[in-house]
Amino acid sequence: MSLALREMRRAKARFGLLIAAVALLVFLILTQQAIQDGLVTSFVGAIRQQTAPVLVYSTDGQRTFQGSVIPPPLEEQIRGVEGVGASGRIGQGTFTVSVSGRDGTEDAALIGAEDPALGSVDDLVEGRAPEADGEAIGSRADFAVGDRVRIVPVGVPDAEGPELEVVGLADDAQLQVTPTLFTSWATYEAAALSANPDAAVVLPNVIGLAPADGVTDAELVEAVNAVSDDADALTRAAAADETPGVAQVRQSFQVIFLLYGLVVPLVTGLFFLIVVFQKSAALTLLRAIGASGATLVRSLLVQVVLVVGGGLVLGTALYLPLSQMEVGSIALRFDATAVAVWSALLLGLGLLSALVAARRVLAIDPIEATTGGGGR
Amino acid sequence: MRLALRELRRRPNRFAVATVILTLIALLLMFLGGLLDGLEAGSTGALRQQPADAVVYAEGAEASLVRSRLGPDVRDAVAEVVGDDRVGGLGSVQLGGRLDGRGPRDLVPIVLFGYELAPDALPEEPPGPGEVFADEALRQEGIDEGTVIRLGPARSEVRVIGFLDDAQYSGQSSLWGSLETWREVLAANRPGARVGEGTVQALVVQDAPDRQGGDLVEVLDEATGGATDSYTVEGAIDALPGLSQQRTTFNQIIGVTVVIAIVVVALFFALLTVERTGLYGVLKALGASSGTLFAGVVLQAVVVTAVASAVGIAASLALDAAIPAGSLPFTVTPGRLVGSAAALLVAALAGVAFSLRRVLRVDPASAIGGAQ
Repeated sequence: MSLALREMRRAKARFGLLIAAVALLVFLILTQQAIQDGLVTSFVGAIRQQTAPVLVYSTDGQRTFQGSVIPPPLEEQIRGVEGVGASGRIGQGTFTVSVSGRDGTEDAALIGAEDPALGSVDDLVEGRAPEADGEAIGSRADFAVGDRVRIVPVGVPDAEGPELEVVGLADDAQLQVTPTLFTSWATYEAAALSANPDAAVVLPNVIGLAPADGVTDAELVEAVNAVSDDADALTRAAAADETPGVAQVRQSFQVIFLLYGLVVPLVTGLFFLIVVFQKSAALTLLRAIGASGATLVRSLLVQVVLVVGGGLVLGTALYLPLSQMEVGSIALRFDATAVAVWSALLLGLGLLSALVAARRVLAIDPIEATTGGGGR
Repeated sequence: MRLALRELRRRPNRFAVATVILTLIALLLMFLGGLLDGLEAGSTGALRQQPADAVVYAEGAEASLVRSRLGPDVRDAVAEVVGDDRVGGLGSVQLGGRLDGRGPRDLVPIVLFGYELAPDALPEEPPGPGEVFADEALRQEGIDEGTVIRLGPARSEVRVIGFLDDAQYSGQSSLWGSLETWREVLAANRPGARVGEGTVQALVVQDAPDRQGGDLVEVLDEATGGATDSYTVEGAIDALPGLSQQRTTFNQIIGVTVVIAIVVVALFFALLTVERTGLYGVLKALGASSGTLFAGVVLQAVVVTAVASAVGIAASLALDAAIPAGSLPFTVTPGRLVGSAAALLVAALAGVAFSLRRVLRVDPASAIGGAQ
């Protein structure tokens, strides 16, 4: 043990460089994990947070709010499905808005629900639920209670859109990485008509459903999908996971994590293999004067744990301040579970990678100390 | 130098693990770069196809086609600057496309564009009503010339009469028809988004050769009295929501990965140099200069990096071939592969430079039993 530590103290640059490499890799892995989680949450947080347990898109909408339009005959069919306990229209559009106290205009996604229990948000971190048209719940990353948000009709001269007051805030409630407001159907309808006076009618994008007593969400999904090929019903969780782009984001990051995850043990394994090779004369001598193979391997493994552990601590320390920041409009978050999982995985892989070096240590023949063979 | 190459040939195992690590880093660089290129190509192809010096959106539309609306009066103001035949309307709508022989829920995600000024690869005149040119990527869906696609819930029929390459938008493949076709399909399928006669989402503008008066995009916004936000094509691409953040994030990750490559190469060759201190002492005693010895180390780093890059390139090409169309937005381009290999080479040279001091410090006296 003391031998391992003494060697590390004497070769600070060598071990320091390795710890730096591991730390950088850990930092990159954790940062990308945070970006992946933040990206997915910013994409579909609003779908996860909204209150309707079942969402029905039009098949043509391909599981996006904005792409889906429910024509009246289809709406009637959906509402009439056996097992529906409650149903409500949900509309969604992205608008240009001006927010009180801020310069210029910005984007905002507006989600209007006919029934607040089917398409609004009930898990508020601040403020209260809307009680009247013109009131809204905002995504906390983008709005504050009391903000007044004016819809700006783009390309419509002299038109003025409705004004919304933010009365409540919800966490992780963005849609498509855009500041998001949850409001009533009537307010949404007014916003949509102000942005496009040519619109003949404002149709719902999605129908929110709650199952009747004794009917499960999955059974209701099945019943709706059986009624029409034009209806695409999904449970809340499935609607979030199957939003186009979410699976691609996850797959892309998995490949990246796999590659980084391979680099860490390889770098560690290579380093200790070379170090053992360089020290073979000294290790042979130690064996000749009575040090057991197990003692030397233990010393090696202590160094592996210290190097990988040091890299993990340093990498996590670098990640900590970054995880409090925002990348564009994606809010990052410190994920203790990710730190724990990656720490265990990388430490395990690091120890595994040192097995080749350990085998070399165990193969040392003490007799070679008398022939000089250990130095080869 | 010959000694360095001979060592590589005779003891390849010594360099194998470093080569594997650098190969993984090369693959990471190429994969990250390929993802970035794929995401950008999938979002910007339709804009890159525009034969334009400026793209004009409504003021406040944040360069979003869906939110922009320009009426005939704005068009007239723009036409006064460059001439009527140099201005073309552009409109888009994202819909699902139904094809014969496929299931009722098996739709192709499509963006239908209506245009007046033809994209670079298309004939000057827009096609007739109900006719469209299709993005080459749609061939993977079994779409060919003559294929009829039924768009949206209204099943608006359009017939494919030809193809153009690299014209994706918002991650989806595109169809290109006349403004009339676009208006009809939009009104039938998106009644809430329908536009009046003469209204478009954006204007594509070609500059007049003899025009005077300064920067085109500024002149256009001035001519419309601030009712528009005009961009160059590159500016319109950069202004696409999220694109610049996406590019910055990926480039930062790529940058840190290059730093890791520097550290890995530095570590590996520092250890090798320490191991060879005695040998270098002998070689110096025999007259080899520090420069010659270091050149050998550099050569080994270059060879290891070249092998890693070559394997990385081959793996990237294999990955590109293996990834099913429409799954990951991964695009392999020669520029990206060569750029990644070059970045890795620079990282290797920077990393190996850390060994220079050790080579310089080797004392020839160590060859005759002095301190190593």
